[in-house]
Amino acid sequence: MVKHEQSMAAAGDVVVSGLNVGKTFAAGTVVALENANFDIKRGSFVSLVGPSGCGKSTLLRLVSGLIEPTSGEIEVHGTPVNGPRADISMMFQKATLLDWRTSLENVLLPTEINGTPSKADKNRALDLLKLVGLEDFAFSFPAQLSGGMQQRVALARLLQTGADILLLDEPFGALDEFTREHLNTELMRIVAEVRATAIFVTHNITEAIFLADQVVVMTSRPGRMAKIINVDLERPRPLSIQTSVEFNKLVEDVRETLGAV
Amino acid sequence: MSDQPIPLSGRILDIGVRFLPHLVLFAVIIGAWEISVATGLITSIIIPRPSAIWSAIVELYITEGTIYRHFFITLTEAVVGFAIGAGVAVSLAIASSLWDPFRRYVTPYAVVLNVTPGIALTPVIIAWFGYGMGSKIALAAIISFFPIFVNTLTGLVQVDEDREELFNSLGASNVQVFRKLRAPAALPLMFAGFKIGLTTALIGAVVAEFAQATDGVGVLMSRFSFQLNMAASLATLLSMTVIGLILFYSMEFLDDRIVFWRRESRRAAASRARARTWAAQAKK
Amino acid sequence: MAVQDATSEALVDTLERSLRNRRIAKHVGIFLTLTLLWELGSRMGWLDPLFYPRPSNIIRSFWLIYFQNANVWFHLYSTISLVILGWVLGSMLGIGLGALVGFNTVIRRFLKPYVIVLEATPRIAVAPLLIAALGFGVNSKLAIIMLVCFFAPFINTLSGVINVNEERLELFRSMRASKTQILRKLVLPDAIPVIMAGERLALTAALSGALVAEFIQRDKGIGSLILVYTRNLNMASAFACIFTLTIIGFLIFKGMEKLDHYIAYWKYEGGRERMSAKRKRTMVEP
Repeated sequence: MVKHEQSMAAAGDVVVSGLNVGKTFAAGTVVALENANFDIKRGSFVSLVGPSGCGKSTLLRLVSGLIEPTSGEIEVHGTPVNGPRADISMMFQKATLLDWRTSLENVLLPTEINGTPSKADKNRALDLLKLVGLEDFAFSFPAQLSGGMQQRVALARLLQTGADILLLDEPFGALDEFTREHLNTELMRIVAEVRATAIFVTHNITEAIFLADQVVVMTSRPGRMAKIINVDLERPRPLSIQTSVEFNKLVEDVRETLGAV
Repeated sequence: MSDQPIPLSGRILDIGVRFLPHLVLFAVIIGAWEISVATGLITSIIIPRPSAIWSAIVELYITEGTIYRHFFITLTEAVVGFAIGAGVAVSLAIASSLWDPFRRYVTPYAVVLNVTPGIALTPVIIAWFGYGMGSKIALAAIISFFPIFVNTLTGLVQVDEDREELFNSLGASNVQVFRKLRAPAALPLMFAGFKIGLTTALIGAVVAEFAQATDGVGVLMSRFSFQLNMAASLATLLSMTVIGLILFYSMEFLDDRIVFWRRESRRAAASRARARTWAAQAKK
Repeated sequence: MAVQDATSEALVDTLERSLRNRRIAKHVGIFLTLTLLWELGSRMGWLDPLFYPRPSNIIRSFWLIYFQNANVWFHLYSTISLVILGWVLGSMLGIGLGALVGFNTVIRRFLKPYVIVLEATPRIAVAPLLIAALGFGVNSKLAIIMLVCFFAPFINTLSGVINVNEERLELFRSMRASKTQILRKLVLPDAIPVIMAGERLALTAALSGALVAEFIQRDKGIGSLILVYTRNLNMASAFACIFTLTIIGFLIFKGMEKLDHYIAYWKYEGGRERMSAKRKRTMVEP
């Protein structure tokens, strides 16, 4: 059963909710996730953190509609999730840019798939590249960009459709610490600016707490939501907050939860 | 999953089930083919009946067994030609990898050899080496030279900076670096080159046989074709396929054994072998 | 499973680099020295003209076949036109079938044993059969060329279509792309480099196929020419023809390289920069 630090379903707009969500693979022999219950309010930033096999990526994919739950149901904006949908946008661990397309064309990909991009779409893409600081690289190819830059293009692509639910699966996991910290700060700024709701998966405890309003600690074997921790730190968050006492208390809290199970 | 070994009957059934659809498809194709020719749907001059092919096979392989001599001649030509080509290619590649100037001055000629279609040399080779096996072996050697040279050289020259650094930090000499790092690291590419070289060696042997020869499956096929004995010709083609398969799988086998670290099954086996050797040595 | 030959490009790269580094003088020097020694050896009677035709004779042959008698042009045209036609037809067939088989798992499974058998057989060996079946002349030559240059594009296209990156597929699915969109925007561009590699191999094979056909038919084409000259022990002219093929082979190599740089531009730094600039230009214009 899920333990809540504080009920998530307080008054306010719930945009993503899950009821008793479970997912098994290989005819029930592998329990990737069981008994997940969650309500996520509009505009909040939720981190899913835990070791490998805790089901965090599975949960994210269930919300995205890429896979179906074996039990329970997930609703986004009040309607059940039946597959990938227009109001949800997802970003993966690998930038997964198409190397025959320029940055701009990569950002435009989701729009292209949904029809012919208009002039407004193209301008939006350029603006997004500006937002992530890559306006000078709009016509560069992925092979000409560093890992961090590629992820930034992927970030711009994530925002192109204007979906207000953003799912991010360990997007900065393959980057070095400095780039990661920089992109974390950028991400928070951008998410706040476009007023989106974000669900962020990571195995890095510091990153999880730094970014989020709520941290969902997940444990493995079987994958479950062990605890939901509220992060009441100030926003916007400077990097220096990672050395504060409150921050480290939260880190301890997470570690304890992970260790206790 | 049970830990009991699957009974032999179960295993045979398993294999049978896997092959059954293929057998059925094959039977259907042969059946349709036979009927088409028998009813005159397809003219039997150009396309022989499967039954005719079968009788040719029986005659060549079983009753009169004429094919075996030719089979072994062509096989020998390909293998010996490959061996010579590979020997020269690997030696030159090793020399090129160790001495830069040598590499620089040999490369243009290697490139010239590569861009020239080796097949073009066939008449010249025959003029030089005569009508016997010599010319077939020579052409096979020349044609198989380049892919082996290029792949071996690339394999030896490729540099894994981290590994080089490791060897340097251990104070390894140049010879040691070559023997313990470069050579093993080059093996995968070398075998890739060998596979291509072996294929081209066979092609060289067969084409040389077309041009001028008395023995070999190439000659046999050519002769049957011009006698318009299509069935026998195809029956002979079958032996060429067999040669190709033998060559390919032999090289695969060697690749698997020598470059064992690429496949999990071989890695496990090699681990066990090493463990046994260690244990045996520890006892002494 | 794809048939690749990228390593020879690395070698030519090394060559080109060393040429650019003012070592070209040394290369030319060595070449000329070897040639002069050869010429000398031949004039002194040390070198058997059968095995070592005199360089000056080879040069004279070049002059004869290209200019004075100008007989090589006819044969060149015959060979090259057939090679190109056969290559285009054969490789198109290979690509088409490769894509078809690649998209259909069932067909692929059933075709697999036949592909393995086909792969092991030296395709060029079927030449006499085809000539006997289709008769002497253009038809059988074309059939041989098409047969030999069918295989590499087939295997490569098949491989390119099958081996689509899982993560990219997931990305497209998350964007609710249709099957056609996945095909057009992902599978096809992704497969282009492998297909190009297959085309290169096919063109080389096509040339060899043409030569073999000409060796057997002995009517026209560079292959026939080499055969005739060799029979007459006119080694100088035979070598002149062989070197002609070297030039053609080199042109094919360079030509395909240029084509690859153009079509699979994103694999090459120069291509990327060129495309970047081009895309920028077209975007900036209103």
